[in-house]
Amino acid sequence: MEENRISEEIFTAERRKYEKTREELERSRAKNRGKNLIIAVLLATTIFGAYQYNTAMKLRQQLNNAYNKAFYELVDYIKNVEVMLLKARMTSSPEMTAVVLSDVWRESFCAASNLTQLPISMGVLSNTEKFLTQVADLSKSMVKQVTYGKNINEEQMKTLENLHKLSVNLEKGLLEMQQDLNNGNLKWENVAKEGQEEMKEVSEDMPKTFGNINEQFEEMPTLIYDGPYSEHMQNRKALGLTGDKVTENQAIEKLQKFLGDGKVKAITKLADNNNGIIDTYNFKMELANKDKDGVAEADVSVKGGHVVWYLYNREVGEKTIDVKKAMELGRKFLADHGYPNMKESYYMQNDGIATINYAYTEDGITYYPDLIKVKVALDNGEIVGFEANGYLMNHTERDYGPPKLTEDEAREKVIRGEKIKSSGLAVIPTNYGTEILCYEFTGKVDDKDFLVYINANTGAEEDVLIIINSEDGILTM
Amino acid sequence: MSNINFKKLLIMILTVIAVSLSAVFSQISFGAGQVSDVQLLARAINGEARGEPYEGQVAVGAVILNRVKNPSFPNTIAGVIYQPGAFTAVSDGQINVPIDPKSTVVKAAQDALNGWDPTYGCIYYWNPATATSKWIWSRKVVVKIGKHNFAK
Repeated sequence: MEENRISEEIFTAERRKYEKTREELERSRAKNRGKNLIIAVLLATTIFGAYQYNTAMKLRQQLNNAYNKAFYELVDYIKNVEVMLLKARMTSSPEMTAVVLSDVWRESFCAASNLTQLPISMGVLSNTEKFLTQVADLSKSMVKQVTYGKNINEEQMKTLENLHKLSVNLEKGLLEMQQDLNNGNLKWENVAKEGQEEMKEVSEDMPKTFGNINEQFEEMPTLIYDGPYSEHMQNRKALGLTGDKVTENQAIEKLQKFLGDGKVKAITKLADNNNGIIDTYNFKMELANKDKDGVAEADVSVKGGHVVWYLYNREVGEKTIDVKKAMELGRKFLADHGYPNMKESYYMQNDGIATINYAYTEDGITYYPDLIKVKVALDNGEIVGFEANGYLMNHTERDYGPPKLTEDEAREKVIRGEKIKSSGLAVIPTNYGTEILCYEFTGKVDDKDFLVYINANTGAEEDVLIIINSEDGILTM
Repeated sequence: MSNINFKKLLIMILTVIAVSLSAVFSQISFGAGQVSDVQLLARAINGEARGEPYEGQVAVGAVILNRVKNPSFPNTIAGVIYQPGAFTAVSDGQINVPIDPKSTVVKAAQDALNGWDPTYGCIYYWNPATATSKWIWSRKVVVKIGKHNFAK
């Protein structure tokens, strides 16, 4: 009995001991488990980090390669521009001049495209970009001139010589940069860092070469020629802006009249727009009978108080009128607001709104430069947009006199003459701010409508347009 | 005691991994597909000016189109938008933010392409509250629309 009791005591003690050890063991195991987990997670993070670093390095390399490609191509193109500009002055036949100048056109266009892919701050190379774009544009207009039978004159030769000198300097600057790039003094990633932020001030760290290259073009001659990038296109005058200066209150009155009686709940002037071409008052209107989204905006010119543009953005409901009706409504709106002789030409439909182009007509001549666009909502016929910039820039008294060619003579110039459906006199704009009096012929080839413009005085074919006819509208290309 | 710290540590590490993973995938998931002019312009407006009034959205679209017509800038819409450093929204990926179906940016892009230009030929704009460049302040402000100053 006694023995039993003792052995039981020993047993219990042993058991306690054992349990204690077990507990300790488990605790230390749990501790270990925790440690292992931390190690595993840290390992995973490290691997992940290494992978990310690797990917980032690869991407950086790819980006560097792309920048290098753009740069080396730029250098090649500039070399070609330089050589071709020199060659252009040595050609004897108009055919060869045209061939060489079209090379200048292509090479300088490609150079400009590559230049703008480099990670350089805004404005640092803008003169260089301008130089290349204008050289491309100018040579294109010269190619056109030569193919129309008018050879390069002395003054143009002088221009080519000046441009060649500039291209030689540009090439020199770029070759210096190429050297920096080759021996590791120039790294795109450093340049890119400087050029990242929008409008950032030109940093001290930006390689001086960029600035030096650009400076050479400060003395670039002003280039005026028949092309969209010609200098004169940036400083045009508004010919159609008639009338005297109006005050802000007079402008508000004009705007109220324009939008119709009782349509406006409140008008606030937001800003004065001093753009130098058409100075305006900028207004915000709260429209009557509209929910909270009933806010429209418009500009009224200081000179003459013309509404230059109007925009009312709203949800458009179910369509209840067709485009034909919309054209009528737009025409009536224009006639009621001082533009009586407007004829619709092209239109587009988006989100229940028809945007319709109207051109001024007089004595059977359509004046396409005098353009007004009207947006008509197709749910209720409301005018939700108006834009008269084309009209206000171009509309003026013209005196072309009687055309030298008769319509029949002009028709003979159209090769596909037998396909012509309709014709008329029209004044068309060039992309360099001038106008040409033409006979406009509409025809059809392979189910595609087209327009041909024959100069009414010289008989030259001035333009060919294809009419794109779709459910969403009629456009030209 | 050590258990609690360990849990905290674990949560922290997992969070770091999750955040960096999501950052990686959000960058991959927006492919650069072929987009038409309207959509590309709309995305640029969305990235640059989605919080602006409608006129301000049209104005930003117009500035991009005015640059296309200016000899000192690239000659295509894509060239102007993706010119390195030209737009913050392109540098920081905001241009890839999907367009809210209720947003007006597509309409604004359409109006800009149709010729509405509240800036009358401006080629620069900036937010005077955040712009850091001294150079940009040397430009004469043509018009202020919403938060932006516009200049030639």
